[in-house]
Amino acid sequence: MMTYANFETLKAGDTIDGPAFAVSRESIRLFCDASLDYNPLHLDDDYMKGDFGKTNFGGIIMHGMNNFGLISRMLTDWALPAGAIHRRLETRWLKPVKPGDTIRPAGTIKAKQTTAKSRWVLVDVAVQNQRGETVAAGEAMLEFPSAKAG
Amino acid sequence: MAQAESSAATPFETDFWKDAKLRKVWDDIVPGEPRKTLPYLLTQDAIALYCRAVGETNPLYLDEAAAKAGPYGGLIAPPAIHILLMFACTPADDWMRSPGTVNAGQSWSYNIPARPGDTITLQARALDKFIKRERLFVVHDNVFFNQHGDVICSGRGQTIRPM
Repeated sequence: MMTYANFETLKAGDTIDGPAFAVSRESIRLFCDASLDYNPLHLDDDYMKGDFGKTNFGGIIMHGMNNFGLISRMLTDWALPAGAIHRRLETRWLKPVKPGDTIRPAGTIKAKQTTAKSRWVLVDVAVQNQRGETVAAGEAMLEFPSAKAG
Repeated sequence: MAQAESSAATPFETDFWKDAKLRKVWDDIVPGEPRKTLPYLLTQDAIALYCRAVGETNPLYLDEAAAKAGPYGGLIAPPAIHILLMFACTPADDWMRSPGTVNAGQSWSYNIPARPGDTITLQARALDKFIKRERLFVVHDNVFFNQHGDVICSGRGQTIRPM
């Protein structure tokens, strides 16, 4: 069960779950239209038969920023009902995601911090595929404005 | 798509090969030099399309009546709308569109939400470039503003350049 977004009760190790996302040629094409990123990496199988330095992807791959969008969606869906604000997200891509994969973002509370004017929660985030491989990882920062600061 | 309403005069070119020869390669990119950018009118249609692509269902982005009663007093865009803005606010010869550009990681900070009807502007540049394990990297930094001059979000990323 996912942890409720309450600054007072949150503790390191608490988890946030995101919904599964089924990746298909159609979902990748839709992301092209939504992001205006029509890089042939995401569109052109013939192009993707070639090598990229030492890497060969073998076919089209999902936009790395699709991972980013899914993590951001998970964080805002968790934070907004509690009046918390998604302030930062840093990610790096570890493995390509391909049509047929099912990916799912998740978060783990890492630390809490109170500053002069607000309260912050740091979250380790990751996206895993259906084989349990981590395809993207990073860190997020959420602000929990203090009730007194109103 | 709502591109007809975009403040950019020409329709978005979806064939990234077409202007490939006009774009800077790694050697041409000067860290510190501003990138050419274009103002972009963010429409509710563009926000809704982004939401559909990543499965966003929050009424703050999609339901005007619910959003009006919410904390922002009206519709907003999801924070990660900068994914769209990066391409919407740059011209066809921008090097971010070079076929084979591989995103190696990004970090973004969010100040205030973008809203439908905002005219978004971008200040962007390459900040650094380097070579690592025979790969050519460029670090880019970007700040998006609304029509009032307020910062919406700022971000930094690394791409591996095509060779």
